[in-house]
Amino acid sequence: MAALEDRIRHLMAEETAGLHVPPDLGLRVMRSARRRRRRSVLAALATTVAVAGAAPFYLAAVAGSGPAPIVTETPPPPPAVDDLPPTGRPTQKDLGDLGDGKAFGHVKVGYLPEGLRWQNWSVDFGDSYSTGYDYKGDKHGFYCVQIYVFEDEAVLEVDDRISIHRQEGEGQEVVIGDRTGYMVVQNVGEDGMKGTPTLFLDMGERRRAEISFSPVYAKDLRTSEAVDRELRKIAEGLTSTD
Amino acid sequence: MSGGAEDDFGAFVAARATTLLRLAHLACGDRAEAEDLLQTALERTYRNWNKVRHDSPEPYVRRVIVNTAISRARRRAILRMIPVRVLPDTPARSDDVDLREVLMDALRALPPRQRAVVVLRYWEDLSEQQTAQVLGCAIGTVKSQCSRALVKLRAALGEESVEGVVGHGRA
Repeated sequence: MAALEDRIRHLMAEETAGLHVPPDLGLRVMRSARRRRRRSVLAALATTVAVAGAAPFYLAAVAGSGPAPIVTETPPPPPAVDDLPPTGRPTQKDLGDLGDGKAFGHVKVGYLPEGLRWQNWSVDFGDSYSTGYDYKGDKHGFYCVQIYVFEDEAVLEVDDRISIHRQEGEGQEVVIGDRTGYMVVQNVGEDGMKGTPTLFLDMGERRRAEISFSPVYAKDLRTSEAVDRELRKIAEGLTSTD
Repeated sequence: MSGGAEDDFGAFVAARATTLLRLAHLACGDRAEAEDLLQTALERTYRNWNKVRHDSPEPYVRRVIVNTAISRARRRAILRMIPVRVLPDTPARSDDVDLREVLMDALRALPPRQRAVVVLRYWEDLSEQQTAQVLGCAIGTVKSQCSRALVKLRAALGEESVEGVVGHGRA
């Protein structure tokens, strides 16, 4: 055995000898996992109740980050579910009248692709919120762009999802100005289309944004280069307001 | 999850978490981040416990820790935030504490995948094949990354025998 390798082992053993986990780590992990699961269940139930069987992307994204059984409890989505509008959420909190929709929660949208308007809907889960944009500003129309913001504890969930994408090698790291992001095509819908181009943007330690194009809108943009370019431009213009 | 499965998970954490925390610390080079890495990995394991528990769960957790550490390090590297430190020209050799610091600095300075290879090979005592499986790469990649890493560590620790190190790394 080479002396260097023995030496490395010896030094590693010394370096880590003082490290011990707290005795209640297992309980803490289980509690934390249950908390996340409860939040995902609530999101999934909200989806089920609010959209009467449809599961638009803006909520499916949250449900998708939770444990698998939650997904199976949601009624099977109809065709082109990825592009269904978020409609009728009588019990759902929202962000109110956002005007042109370019400022919501703690973020401001500095750039939207030409022709897009706020869709007059939003959802507000407290530590995560979202809204969308389409050609007509029609809350019942197909969404083109959706921005989902995650804050505080919710950041952990989205980081976990990004981490899984990374491990599966499904996307790519991107640099947006002085910020970083991760671009991936998520297979959120089950409509047989090519999926939902998404850019996860790191907006600081306690904030992430998930910018997504519906498959239909991505198709409108014609090329993957155009999709990439527009996603990046929206990300560049997305800033915190606090 | 059933009570029995939760008991199993609790027993697994009680038995193996300290070892896994040490792996996480070596993989990322920072104690606080190591704790976060471990918690993240264990939560993911807990969510998949019904699938994972019947095999050996430890390799699963190890894989999550190492690959998450690599992902995070790469992410920081993009922003040039990785605390890459300049290695001293003359390695400190006054005592083991100094050498430990030199080793940890040298480990932090390695590219993430090279660091992971060193930790898996010399801390976890995994074979080249097992290391390749954890990292999802070819055995040849493990060999070349290990060889390069050892050359850098040798230089940092002031080892004399370059040939011996490189030779073993290629074995």
